[in-house]
Formats: sequence, C-alpha cells, structure tokens
Amino acid sequence: MSALATALAQVSQTTDRLSRLSVRAHQNPYTLVDWPSAVDPERDWFSTPEYVSLHGTAVWAGLDDSARRRVAFHEAAGFYSLNIHGEKTLIQGLAARLYRSDLAGSAGYLHHFLDEENKHSVYFGGFCTRYARVHRSRQAPWRTDRPRDVDDFLFFAKTLIFEEIVDHYNRVQARDARLHPLARFINDNHHREEARHLVFGRRLVTELWQAADWDQPTAAEIRDDLARFVTATWREYYHPDVYADAGLGDPWELAEAAWSAPDQRTHRRQVSADCLRFLAVAGILTEEPADAF
Amino acid sequence: MRSEAEIREQLRTFVRHHAGGVDITDDTELFTLRVLRSVHLPELIILLERLRGAPIDVEQLRIGDFDGIDAMMARFGAVQP
Repeated sequence: MSALATALAQVSQTTDRLSRLSVRAHQNPYTLVDWPSAVDPERDWFSTPEYVSLHGTAVWAGLDDSARRRVAFHEAAGFYSLNIHGEKTLIQGLAARLYRSDLAGSAGYLHHFLDEENKHSVYFGGFCTRYARVHRSRQAPWRTDRPRDVDDFLFFAKTLIFEEIVDHYNRVQARDARLHPLARFINDNHHREEARHLVFGRRLVTELWQAADWDQPTAAEIRDDLARFVTATWREYYHPDVYADAGLGDPWELAEAAWSAPDQRTHRRQVSADCLRFLAVAGILTEEPADAF
Repeated sequence: MRSEAEIREQLRTFVRHHAGGVDITDDTELFTLRVLRSVHLPELIILLERLRGAPIDVEQLRIGDFDGIDAMMARFGAVQP
C-alpha cells in the first residue's frame, strides 16, 4: 500500500463528510451566473484596491481613481487566470491519481475534488474570456523523476499552499462591498468550495508528512521545493501582462519594483501567515521561505 | 536594451544564488546536474523575460532550453524578430 493510500484511509471519515457536503452543494456553473453583456473597468472595482499588487508603490500613488479601477479590473483577470492555471495543474494531478490501482477506494472524494475544480475554472474562464483575457502562467509543467511518494506529497502540499493564498484573497474580496457583484460572487463561491478542499488538504498533508520516512537529504529537498513554490506562487501575482493591459509602461520593471516594494513584502507575509504557521506547526517547513518576502 | 554581457551576468547571479556553493561556468548543465530544479523555473523565466523585455511562451519550452547559461543565451538572449 502506498503512503498516499494509507493517508487517505486515515482521513476517510473527513472525506466521507466532505463528500456529503459536496453532494449538498452541487451546482451548475452554466446556469448559476447571469453574466452582464459588458462591464465598465473604470467605473466599478473588480479587485479590492488594498490587494492590488501595485498598492503601496509610487506608481499606484500617482494614478487617479479611474486608472486605479482599471488596474484592479485587469488584476482581477490576472488573479482569475492564475487560478485557471493552478486548477489546470490540480486537475491533471487529481486525474492522474483517480482510480490509480492503490487509490481506487478513495475515488469518491477525488471525483468531487476534480469536479469542483473544473467548475471553478468555468467561472474564472467565463470572466476572462468575456471581458478580458486569460493571462499566461510561468509554471512550466515538466515531469520529474522523483519517487512516487515524494511526488504525491509535493502535489498535495503545493496544492494546499496555492489554495490557502488564493482563499485569503477570496475571503477578503467576497466581503468587500465596494466590488462589482460579479467579482464578489466569483470570490465568494470559490471560497465556499475551497473551504472543503482546505480541510482535506491540511488533514492529508499532515498525515503524509507524519507517516513519511524520508532520509535527511530528501526531506531537505522537499522543504526547499515547497519554500521555492511559495515564492514562485507569489511571483505570479506581479504580472507584467496585467500592467500592460492596464496601460502602464515598462511592465517588467514595474513588476520587479512592485515585488520589491516594502508594502508588498508586508502584504505577502500577512497573507501567507496562516499557511506558513500550519506548515511550521506540522514540522514541514522549519524556516521562512527564502526570497518570498 | 541590455547587452549580452549584462544578461549573462544577471543569469550568473541568479544561478549562484541558488547553486548552494556549487562552482558553475556558463556551460554547466544546470538542470542535468540538478544545480537548478524545475521549481526554480518560474523565477528564472520571469528574470529572462525582464532581461530581454519580451514574453516567453512556456508552452513551447523544453528543459534543454535552460540547461546552462550558454543554452539560455542561445535560446532567449535576444528578442526574436
């Protein structure tokens, strides 16, 4: 039996409960949203201004209100795009594990997880393709030759990190009354769904880590991979194409300046705090990710 | 636009930062020898895009494109017309 199969068996009460909740919350993403025929990026807020990646920079300070709303609109498309790419990777990983010979007994919850991630991308893609565009990702999808148990752990741990950061944005933006109702809906719906995935992710990652019997170099490389992943995930929030679409000049240098801005470093540390605390308490990360803040 | 020498120097700085004390030259096979791993690629791609001032299409990449500073310069050193 693989480490993942054992861990999934350990969390089966949780996955049974989450499966029942998923059945109850089952939704049709093609009928649930009444998409407006058009939106006005300079009239409405589509991202929480304090969560825009330029907030706290000199460029942001120099923008008038309509220009800030325009940036926040394109940043929403950037945020939804990084969700699309993250979910694409997640869907691939879940599909690869669905009915794997040792995991057949856990297919029920994996079906829900996969189904819900696909639906989230319908909403994110629906917004981007109607009103903006799907921005590209820099996460290159190359396979590795690591042992399967290491790959399984890294897959679920990276998924958890990605979802924890995204969920923080979703929670804040779902509650932000300044935002256009469509933006609030997309964030709120994603948050409600992800709440189940985060419960699953924390339990499973803890089980996998506690049961692992890796030697010191392997554990060190896993820790380094996860720390680098935190940094790489955050880097995607500073997207030159988003800035270019918003009409801002020199977008690569702007991305670098925003990444290095003190207010943005503080923001990343605050948003990551819950996730990093979990990873530290679980003994998975022993120090703060290098370069992320 | 940055010169080839400037781009090489910034790539060397990036690699040294992540190499953990391993000696590298411009023809060191960075990924084959696991000086860098796939988890370093997003940051490397962002750096390359900034240095060349043009986007890189990740869907068209092969790991060999990054397997050394010489290889990166050959593939990404100049913006393609």
